[in-house]
Amino acid sequence: MNAVANTSDNEVVLRIYEVGYHIVPTVVEENVEKAVGDIRSAIEKAGGSFIAEGAPAMTRLAYEMESQVGDKRSYFDKAYFGWIKYEAPVASVAALEEFLKANTSILRHIIFVTVREETRAKIKAPTLREVKRTDTIKSTPRRPEETSAPLSEVDLDKALLDITE
Amino acid sequence: MANILTQNDIQHIDYKDVDLLKQFVNPHGRVMSRKRTDLTAKQQRAVEAAVKRARFMGLLPYIQK
Repeated sequence: MNAVANTSDNEVVLRIYEVGYHIVPTVVEENVEKAVGDIRSAIEKAGGSFIAEGAPAMTRLAYEMESQVGDKRSYFDKAYFGWIKYEAPVASVAALEEFLKANTSILRHIIFVTVREETRAKIKAPTLREVKRTDTIKSTPRRPEETSAPLSEVDLDKALLDITE
Repeated sequence: MANILTQNDIQHIDYKDVDLLKQFVNPHGRVMSRKRTDLTAKQQRAVEAAVKRARFMGLLPYIQK
């Protein structure tokens, strides 16, 4: 297909997508990478190119999620959460969606259109809450210790006499 | 509550930034109104979408008792 023919009707529209996924916690840690590899190959097969990726990490879920494989229903309160940002033709999304749905090791997934730029906020939330301090306590230099020569008994008596007289 | 996003020069809202999104939900897990967040309409829509994505993915709760 040449460039001229590749217009209007059969023009391949590329968009930036992000896929987020939860891998069931029953998958052993060594096999998580393999499950991610499957998703990656599915994206590549659909003609996608990767932009950014977040490696799956065990995450506690805010609520229990249910998954049904055959007749067996299981509930999970944690999962390996990872994400991939990629560019792919619009038509490829449905295929990836099908793949993710059919994959039993994937508890839940989300695909949505995003932007190429980094979307994560640079600042950490705790810095937002940080209390502004109006003033800082200045450290005052310690008064240099008065050095005095060792007092003799005679001097002491003399000084006492001076006071009492 | 001043506009956190403008103050910190945040252009995009990501559903994975749970700590940031938590600034815009109340202790019950509901999204705060614009009156309280002080965001622009566009920012508020982006925050709402991100909170909903985060809820679906189990990063934020739908409700918190």
